[in-house]
Order: sequence, then C-alpha cells, then structure tokens
Amino acid sequence: MNKLSFTVAVAAFALAGAVHAQAPNDAQIAHVVVTANQVDIDAGKLASTKSTNKDVQAFAKQMIADHSGVNQQATALATKLKVTPQDNPTSQSLAKGGKDNIAKLNTLSGAAFDKAYVDHEVDYHQAVLDALDKTLIPSAKNEELKALMVKVRPAFVSHLDHAKHLQSTLGK
Amino acid sequence: MLRLSILVGAVAAGCSATALAASHTVTMDGFAFKPQTLEVKVGDTVEWVNRDILPHTATATANAFDSKTIQPGGKWTWTARTAGQYAYECALHPNMKGVVQVK
Repeated sequence: MNKLSFTVAVAAFALAGAVHAQAPNDAQIAHVVVTANQVDIDAGKLASTKSTNKDVQAFAKQMIADHSGVNQQATALATKLKVTPQDNPTSQSLAKGGKDNIAKLNTLSGAAFDKAYVDHEVDYHQAVLDALDKTLIPSAKNEELKALMVKVRPAFVSHLDHAKHLQSTLGK
Repeated sequence: MLRLSILVGAVAAGCSATALAASHTVTMDGFAFKPQTLEVKVGDTVEWVNRDILPHTATATANAFDSKTIQPGGKWTWTARTAGQYAYECALHPNMKGVVQVK
C-alpha cells in the first residue's frame, strides 16, 4: 500500500469509525459532504491543467462540474434548513488527505501523474461511498439532508466506475 | 347494435393507433437510463427527462442524435425518423448507456 492509498484508507477508517465513536450530527454531516466534494474539485482542477491525457482531462473536468453541482445543492439545503456546517475530525481528515494528495501530485508529471491521480480517484470515491453507506446516510436526522445524499450516491458510483475504467486503460 | 358499435370502436382505435405517433419517455434517474432499452416505431417521439440532481445528455454513439446538456428537471425530445438500432450514452457520464430500437 503506497502512502496515498494509506492516507485514503485512514480517512475511510476515520469516516467509518465516526459512527462508533459518536454519530455525526446533521451540521457535521453537511460539513463532511461539502469538504469531500471540495477535495475532489481541487484535485480535478490540478489534473485538468496538469494532465496531458485527454481522457484524464475530461474525467477531471467532469469531477469539477459534478462535485461543484453537488456542493451548490448541499450549500443551498444547509441555508434553507438554517444549518451551519460544523467542522469535525472526519472533515479534517478528508481535508488533510486531499492536501497530501495535491502535494504528491505536484511532484509528478506525465504518465506518473495520471496514474497517481486516477488511482487516488478510485480510492477516494470508494472511501466516500463507504462513508455515505455506513455513516453519513444512516446518521442523518433531517429527511431532506438524507434524501440529498441518497440522490447524490449514484453520482459517486458512476464516478468510481469511470475512474476504474480509466485506471484500466492507463499504461496500455 | 351493441356488437356493431364495439366493432366500430375497435376499428377506430386501430386507425388512431396507426395514424398517431406514440410518445415514449426515458428517465435519467440514479445515473441510469430507464428503460435502458426502448423499442419504438418510425415516427414516434422519445422524450428524455432528467430526474437526477446533475446534468446529463442523451448522445447517440453514431451521431444520430445529441440532446446536448439536459439540466436537472429538464427534458429533450427526439423524433425517430429512420429504422435502426441506436446506441447512446451520456456524454458527461459515459458509463450511462442506453439503446433505442426503431422499427
């Protein structure tokens, strides 16, 4: 396991572990959702400018578009529900994982960059799906917040499939 | 007389079915086209309705049609003019795939 997947695994563990320690409240869940999307937007922005592979670029642009779209809706819902997203250890772990990923990606270029970016996208989307299923959706008290996450879930499944497909084509 | 009116009714229904083109709906929901395979007749219309929270497209892989971006809550209609099998996908999420069979 390389350092990046380790970071993702730690983040996933923190996400999954949160339910055992203390179920996150809706304000914390909203913060996790926004942070998770922002982390992937940031990675996508880097990849869309740095990658020279058109499939990777297209994927990165789609990640920016979709995760921005999800965040607009999450933010609009939080405003409507008068919930102020509340920072928490899970968000901090996700943000740190995202920062470490960007730092690593900044040291790479060409095919090595593409591979590291796409590998991380696979791990990241899997980790977020696990968090949605095990912690975030079951813990949400507000029905609209829960419904938004249920509606968002297929986007993560689609992104994961797309990233896996891309992963299988790289290096060939 | 009753029998005659039933007969007339049946003929009328038969005529209208052939004269009027049918309209079909495909929903984009949960990042999937539902139904995934749709069979229509030449002249029928197909309407794609986006029930997801993100934009999608219905883009034929052989350039027969392209909805361009359909926003959440939006729709796009295509009239099937030529028989054939049309595979299509969402250009934004290429693992969303569907087929329209025009007979």
